[in-house]
Amino acid sequence: MALVPPVSLLSVQNVSKSFEGTTVIEDCSLDVGWGEMVSLLGPSGCGKTTLLRIIAGLERADRGTIHISGTQVAGNGTWVRPEDRHVGMVFQDWALFPHLDVSRNVGYGVPRGKRAEEVAKTLELVNLPGMQNRMPETLSGGQQQRVALARALAPRPTALLLDEPFSNLDSALRRDVRTEVRQLLRTTGMTAVFVTHDREEALVLGDRVAVMDAGRIVQIGSPAEIYQKPANPWVAAFIGAVSMYPADANGHTAHSDFGSIPLLDSHQGPVEVAVRPEDVELRPDTGGNPTHTVEDFEFQGADSMVTVASPAGIRLLARVSGTQSFTPGDRVSPVYSGSPAAAFARPVAN
Amino acid sequence: MRSTAFRSPVLLKVVAIVVTAAFAFPAGYLVWRNFTFHSDPLGVLFSQRTQGPLLRTLWLAVLVSTSTAVFGTALAWLTTRCDVPLKRMWQALLPLPLVFPTFIGAAALIRTLNPGGLLSDWLDNLGLVWDVEVRGLFGAWLALTLFTYPYVYLPVAARLRRLPGSAEETARLLGDSPLNIIRRVVLPQTATAISAGTLLVFLYAISDFGAVQLMRYDTLSRAIYTTRLNNQTVSMALSVILLVLAAAVVLVERGVTRRFEHAAPVRSRRPVIYRLGRAKPIAVAFLVGAVALALLGPMASLADWTIDGIRLEASGGRDLLVGWDDVWSPTWHTAYGSVLAAVVSVAVVLPAAYLVVRYRSRIGTVANAVIVSAFALPGILIGLALLFWTLKTDIGSHLRNTLVLLVFAYIVRFGGQTMRTSQVAVAAVSSRLTDAARTMGASWLRRFRSLELPLMAPGLLAGGGLVMLSVMKELPITLLIAPFDFPTLTTKAFNSIEEAFVAEAGIWSGLLVLLSGVMTWFFIVRRAEHFD
Repeated sequence: MALVPPVSLLSVQNVSKSFEGTTVIEDCSLDVGWGEMVSLLGPSGCGKTTLLRIIAGLERADRGTIHISGTQVAGNGTWVRPEDRHVGMVFQDWALFPHLDVSRNVGYGVPRGKRAEEVAKTLELVNLPGMQNRMPETLSGGQQQRVALARALAPRPTALLLDEPFSNLDSALRRDVRTEVRQLLRTTGMTAVFVTHDREEALVLGDRVAVMDAGRIVQIGSPAEIYQKPANPWVAAFIGAVSMYPADANGHTAHSDFGSIPLLDSHQGPVEVAVRPEDVELRPDTGGNPTHTVEDFEFQGADSMVTVASPAGIRLLARVSGTQSFTPGDRVSPVYSGSPAAAFARPVAN
Repeated sequence: MRSTAFRSPVLLKVVAIVVTAAFAFPAGYLVWRNFTFHSDPLGVLFSQRTQGPLLRTLWLAVLVSTSTAVFGTALAWLTTRCDVPLKRMWQALLPLPLVFPTFIGAAALIRTLNPGGLLSDWLDNLGLVWDVEVRGLFGAWLALTLFTYPYVYLPVAARLRRLPGSAEETARLLGDSPLNIIRRVVLPQTATAISAGTLLVFLYAISDFGAVQLMRYDTLSRAIYTTRLNNQTVSMALSVILLVLAAAVVLVERGVTRRFEHAAPVRSRRPVIYRLGRAKPIAVAFLVGAVALALLGPMASLADWTIDGIRLEASGGRDLLVGWDDVWSPTWHTAYGSVLAAVVSVAVVLPAAYLVVRYRSRIGTVANAVIVSAFALPGILIGLALLFWTLKTDIGSHLRNTLVLLVFAYIVRFGGQTMRTSQVAVAAVSSRLTDAARTMGASWLRRFRSLELPLMAPGLLAGGGLVMLSVMKELPITLLIAPFDFPTLTTKAFNSIEEAFVAEAGIWSGLLVLLSGVMTWFFIVRRAEHFD
């Protein structure tokens, strides 16, 4: 039996779950410390929402245990109903009660005596003072989002679970609300688990990021770790644009057809190096010996994304400054200019 | 999204099983009684005695459903898709004939159209002679067509209003003529609504008692009624035959709705409006005729009877058998019985609706099938089964002539109407909402009281309203098993008509039509508009 470390407020151990024979969650473990914010990142259908619902008690896991502030709430015959777990949850569609006004929505989980006072305080906190008597349908998306957050916070839960809380907002609004929510949770010292499929959101919001794929947690780490030291090629590609470039490793250096690339770990033999576009510089044809040809050029404002191909047809992405311009057919020489990169052993073709 | 994680509560299942058994009881008793009675339905089936009523029932139902399909669809087409004037007024008036129980409608037709009635009086003044007898098959057909066409009109009009204009516009651009577009594009997409409405009318026609009784057309239900006292064996056998017929209609209905299920409901911005051109006066005359025959005529004759009676009394003729004090108790009984049946129907059907929608339980599926099918049971069968049950068994005898038994019969007959609306109501409460409430510590009871009930209320009210309206107009069950001290507006009106107390018939019918008119407007017309 795993001993729960005293630092973790929420502890998920070896949880598995299947629906009608299909495995949705397989052997997931996750510890969340007091006041920590963890993003659960994965493509849609990877089981991240189910894991969140298992933590809340809205689904039952087939195997595994869950502890909340040291108390076991699920597993080995223990079962604490969601009503009694004291975790707050913000739903993807916010799930505001359409027939109740803002104050009755926010006050729903607060004991009657303290209701009015707590509602006012929480609305102040989420920057919606004086909105008590509005009905949900009269609010904008951003306001509804904040009411949902206030409703989850008002009963002062032990931890907050957020299921894609920003996906229903339009992109212009999303960034502002995201920043606001992060600051709010920071100041209240709330422990939170976010589910998201948006890698930028996951990196911005999480103290740590847990990456999920097909029901498994494939990597847990700080946002920088996940980005710079992905556990496998899939994570490398999922977390940001990357080219998996073939090279030959010799210790901490890999030799590719456009020069050498420093490696994080020591490797020998054929590898694939996870090359981030921003780590590649393109030198235009200045009469030297250009190796690559420009295939595609996408202007994106502050910078541009360039796809170049080696003589062997291997593609490489490069992010260049917005002031640089290329035309398909241009001959260029890529140069690796970034920090040591992650590499993965390349299966040798028979 | 996924609600299968938690198994359905045992209590819910137990309630659903008990309710299902109760809904199946009258039909089950009827079948069982036949075996123990040795009534030999197969033998009776081939006797002269049965074949007549059976063939007449089928013939009438076929005629009525054909005519309502054409009539209802035409009216729906004209009022939703053509440039007739006063569209909103027609749309408000055309569903209203539903307020007439068929026996009142039939009585009104007899009094209005037969020699000596309003029409012939009026024609006499013009020096014309009118001697068409509205009786028998023709009378029953006319009455049922005029007072049941809204069952076709309402769904077809709703469908036509929602059909996207783009398909018709595309056909137009591809070079099709308007008539061809109707045939090739519009009708196929409306077929589900037409066939569903028509089957409902067919079912109505085979189970109708009021119109055939007044028109003296001997269908199964009338034969069952007349033989119930002095020839129970025949009555029982006829009942089983009618039961099988109703069951067959239900099976066909299942097949039809399944086949057309892929016709996806589409929401349109603007339906295409067809110009009638020179045919417009004919169309308007058709609408005026329909409203005059099915609505204004019957209303006028009810008023005429009442006024005649009051005038006669005032001029020292026969005294009215109805004083102002007598009016209240039947009105109260009608209101009380129908509200009670509606409320209990909603309450007992709700657990099954939960099982179907929330838990997708097999018990729920069975309960749903039984409860909905019970709606096909002709009232005369339920009344008869329960009447015999109270006469022949000890347990039943305690319930003889009680309000409990009457309300139970109403619920079996009409409770199925609340199933669909209840399911929609349950589905309308997103499980996210109750999940959210759970994470905030709300107990089962609090979630039901503060979230589910208020959110389901409009749907439950609509379902209850349908039951209330149906119970108000119900005749055969009320005639057979209502307590003696519980006269309702229908029994009062029916007895007055049968005994030719014209003025009294006018008063009772008028009250009933008024009451059910308010209900129809509230629950059907208003709801139909909501569907848009």
